[in-house]
Amino acid sequence: MNIRTRRRFLRDLGLSSALLPFLGGLSSLRAAEAMKPRQRIVFFLSPNGTLPPLFWPDTNAEGITLKRILAPLEPFKNRMLTLKGLSNKVRGDGDGHMRGMSCLLTGKELFPGNIQGGSDSPAGWCKGISIDQELKNFLQSRPETKTRFGSLDLGVAVPNRADPWTRWSYAGPNQPVTPTDDPYQFFERIYGSMKDRENLASVLDEVDEDIRKVSKLVSSEDKALLDKHLTFVREMENDMKEPREQALVSPQVKLEPGVPNDNDSIPKLFRMQTDLLVNAFANDMARVATLQFTNSVGQAKFRWLGINEGHHSLSHDPDDKAESQEKLAKMNVWLCEQLAALAQKLADTPEPGGTGSMLDHTTILWTNELGKGNSHTHDNIPFMLCGGGLGFKTGRALEYNNIPHNRLLVSLANAFGHELHTFGNPDLSSGGALALA
Amino acid sequence: MSIRSLVALLSAAGLSIAFGQEQARTGETIFRDMCASCHGDKGQGVADKYDDPLYGERSLASLSKYIDKNMPEDKADTLDADGSAKVAEYIYHAFYSAEARARNNPPRIDLTHLTNRQFQESVADLLGSFVEQPAAGERTGLHAEYFESNGMNKKSKLKKERDDAALEFDFGAGPPVEGCSAEQFSIAWQGSLIAEETGFYEFRLRTPNGARLYLNREFLNGDRNFRDDSDARRQPALIDEWVSSGDTVREATARAFLLGGRRYPIRLDYFKFKEKSASIKLEWKAPHAVWQVLRAPHISPARAAHVTVVSAPLPPDDSSIGYERGSAVSKTWHEATTKAAIEIANEVVDRMRALAKTRDNAPDLVDKLKAFGATLAERAFRRPLSAEEKTFFVDRHFDNDLPPDVSIKRSVLLIIKSPRFLYPEFGGKADDTTAATRLALSLWDSLPDAALQEAAQKGELHTPDQIRAQATRMMADPRAKAKLKEFFHEWLSFDEAAEINKDRKAWPEFDDALVADLRTSLDAFVDEVVWSEASDYRQLLLSDHILLNPRLAKFYGMPAPAEEKFEPVKFDPAQRAGVFTHPYLLAAFAHQKSTAPIKRGVFLTRNIMGRFLKPPPQAVAFEDEKFDPSLTMRQKVTELTRNSNCMGCHGTINPLGFSLENYDAVGRWRTTEQDKPIDPVADYTTVDGEVIKLKGARDLASHASGNRDAQRGFVRQMFQHAVKQPPAAYGPDTLARLHEGFTNSGFHIRSLLVEIAVTAAQFNLPPAEPATSTHPRRFFGD
Repeated sequence: MNIRTRRRFLRDLGLSSALLPFLGGLSSLRAAEAMKPRQRIVFFLSPNGTLPPLFWPDTNAEGITLKRILAPLEPFKNRMLTLKGLSNKVRGDGDGHMRGMSCLLTGKELFPGNIQGGSDSPAGWCKGISIDQELKNFLQSRPETKTRFGSLDLGVAVPNRADPWTRWSYAGPNQPVTPTDDPYQFFERIYGSMKDRENLASVLDEVDEDIRKVSKLVSSEDKALLDKHLTFVREMENDMKEPREQALVSPQVKLEPGVPNDNDSIPKLFRMQTDLLVNAFANDMARVATLQFTNSVGQAKFRWLGINEGHHSLSHDPDDKAESQEKLAKMNVWLCEQLAALAQKLADTPEPGGTGSMLDHTTILWTNELGKGNSHTHDNIPFMLCGGGLGFKTGRALEYNNIPHNRLLVSLANAFGHELHTFGNPDLSSGGALALA
Repeated sequence: MSIRSLVALLSAAGLSIAFGQEQARTGETIFRDMCASCHGDKGQGVADKYDDPLYGERSLASLSKYIDKNMPEDKADTLDADGSAKVAEYIYHAFYSAEARARNNPPRIDLTHLTNRQFQESVADLLGSFVEQPAAGERTGLHAEYFESNGMNKKSKLKKERDDAALEFDFGAGPPVEGCSAEQFSIAWQGSLIAEETGFYEFRLRTPNGARLYLNREFLNGDRNFRDDSDARRQPALIDEWVSSGDTVREATARAFLLGGRRYPIRLDYFKFKEKSASIKLEWKAPHAVWQVLRAPHISPARAAHVTVVSAPLPPDDSSIGYERGSAVSKTWHEATTKAAIEIANEVVDRMRALAKTRDNAPDLVDKLKAFGATLAERAFRRPLSAEEKTFFVDRHFDNDLPPDVSIKRSVLLIIKSPRFLYPEFGGKADDTTAATRLALSLWDSLPDAALQEAAQKGELHTPDQIRAQATRMMADPRAKAKLKEFFHEWLSFDEAAEINKDRKAWPEFDDALVADLRTSLDAFVDEVVWSEASDYRQLLLSDHILLNPRLAKFYGMPAPAEEKFEPVKFDPAQRAGVFTHPYLLAAFAHQKSTAPIKRGVFLTRNIMGRFLKPPPQAVAFEDEKFDPSLTMRQKVTELTRNSNCMGCHGTINPLGFSLENYDAVGRWRTTEQDKPIDPVADYTTVDGEVIKLKGARDLASHASGNRDAQRGFVRQMFQHAVKQPPAAYGPDTLARLHEGFTNSGFHIRSLLVEIAVTAAQFNLPPAEPATSTHPRRFFGD
């Protein structure tokens, strides 16, 4: 019985393909895979640069001494690695913010373009895939590391517009990935609703057929759009075959209802998104995640800290304006606290089917569109890694001499066993991976 | 042949070669010989020489002058004025001008899916078409019925009926109306809420008594007012504060996503039973507004039908070509529209009684549902359904032993997920139903209504006059008003203004409430012009009055209206003119403390003057603290952009921005900056190369309102907004033709939109078929 008729048979029984895996149980492959330790990575972005003197740790004989911004990570000091001297050297079209954002995980130039959003500096989308999506594709291509989603593309308070300031993850050239910043939507996505899925699964075959019929009526130029649409329909069909709620190792997170997706809810939204993320990781729905706080030029108002000015506006103030620097310090400390809470959650959760805690198998990478807010430099982008997902030697503060950050992206791929030699712009990858293990 | 004659022949040939060379020194050969090595043979640019493609908006004369002066680079004297003119003429017509580019790379009508707005509007009208839509009426306020109660919660004696203008009451310890018990009474307010903008609306209810708020719920036959809260059994309340807690005034909030330009049923049920005092207050916060008591004109006693609002958030539309349209599909979009389809399918089953006029266990349930499904598909697909399609989309889902509600759910899912719904026009021959589809999208972002469907069915939507008559009818619909409003928000960059954030120390009164008032003021002004009889575009730029309420008047030092509402106030015409001197925009295009001539200039260049700006060759941020603080803003900007690389665009941007320097960061009039007089005078060079001395905003407004390129830019922006395709895809002269009509109509804005819709609707329609009306095509279900 092939899959199609089997599905039809199940449908006639009132069951659907969404239930298939439960009838069949977990595949033997997945059972065997439990032997191999999982590796995960979370890319966390905050915008508008950091305050370098308060960010970079000191190194001494005992190890490293954390400064004010990273202080909330003190309990994880020995699992941290900071990389100073990495610079985003991608040039070309787009203003510094666009490139700071859209070239950060891609290491590649933007297309020329004329996006005319909120500022005066137009450009197009990035020319390349981002490292998170590259890793996702790599892990999804191998049965032993394949998961339901591959990657979870998340955000907190991301504005509802699509442009190079609001996107940092790319599935390929001209293919920005839209982050999900609504926890309820994220919840729906990972847990779904059984009944709706059942109905949906039953009609996807026909949607597929319908699109193919319509495709015959359009010009060859227009057909490409429908073809793309069709691939998403098919992906969804495949998604439906993956295990569902009954297979959850870790029980569903209960969300507080009715939290609006707005500025003043940011602290709650952060917690909801990271709770869901940890749970999705625990249930092995993905091995890669991005978590984007607002956007490049983000204007979050940290009113819960008593700060009423927008993040970006403050970041323009000069170094000698102590009041603004103090506010920015508080904001960055608060962001680090959110990271520390995520690290703590991972550290408190035993690795399902493995040894140690989830933090032993997960690396959180914190980075920024800019090195420093008021200079808009792309030099010395703050890169901080925390956790044991990549097997890097931690408890160190490394310093490089202004080298392209593409080399770090190569190292990340290699840490997952993906033997790339360059990533993004090959010229900026010369020298290859950094020795971090 | 003798030697002599050979020599003669050669010299003749030589002569003719020399003569030919002289003749062949055309623009094309000059370009090939002297320019192509850096600019490429078709002006496409050469890597590491001159990368940028050679196009722009200089006039031929200006281009010629520029080449003569500067080209070839470093050897400008090798090309004389005559040669420069020739080469300018060649490149202008070959690839430089907008016309040439349109000809070389003709824009086409791309396949697009529904934009977010089109999806939302279409869904609302799709399900809305199955229920009666009550008329809006003229009255404002909510209809109130005051009852004396007989025991808690029982409305026994109707004491008074009236329309209440605002939902704020303090009855103290007394009765709500004369002749009613003060101890126990009950009031039901109902009617409709009018939402101007699409977005989240917040509601806040305060009362020490019992109350429930229902919003956008369906009133069903049989809902009566004999008992409080009669429809609570079927309808969940938005806010439920039915049980009081001593005499404490309780507060509860809720929010709802609503589509702008529509009315929503609202009902507030309230009762007092022996509490010491009685009061109730319902406030709301509309998008971009501040908290205020819900009052007229935002409420109407007329009933309204439930509006289907998809709550699944859709990802933003692709706007990479300067306006939003459905030209890209993404996984997120696919998932979001799938979720919306599930929501709609679930709603259909929940509202089966109202939509399909049937109920569970009715003997004809399956037949009714099949008929409903077929009609739904026809309306969603905007054309009649073939027998085969009816089987595919509807009937086959009932050919199994599933419960009928599951069958209809699956049918609805398939219909909403079909490309026939999502891609309104996907090829095939255009006909009258295509014209109906296009009109509904251009004017409403929605589906054809019954009148359009009927006209198409009868073959009466074919000639330009027939199409124009329908378009004119459609302009009177609130959906056209909503779409035009959305256009003006885009044209005037209201999005930018939504982020206004000013230095509170310098202007403590410039708070959220004042910003909201400014938005209301500009919105109302645009409405006033657009919906006046003249509907004159020039008035938008030239008007000498502004709408102010007392708060705005006080802040801007203008005479205050006597009442708490917006009244027209005349200003000194030398000081202001029309929309771009409206303080909402002046404040939006300014920094926290200082003006931003570049932001203002870019807005004026693109949106008002209709010109194009290329991406800046280098990214430069304006950092105020880097300048000598004694400089004026104009001096700082001049300094920042002095580089000739910058001046290509800033030569246009800066003068326009400087002409508004008389307005500070909050849009107040000023004559000095740091004790130096403001200099708003600037030389502005038009597209045609003419230099105009602008002496300030009024001058700029006069110039813009009479300038062909500014007018065409307005036509183009409106076309793109309405049709979501480039005008030139409808023929190279589309813009010119529409502009001519616009000019002849006295720059009538509403007529322009009608003509744009007609242009799109009749595009590629074949000649009328003879007498189709004897065999009308079936369109509706039963």
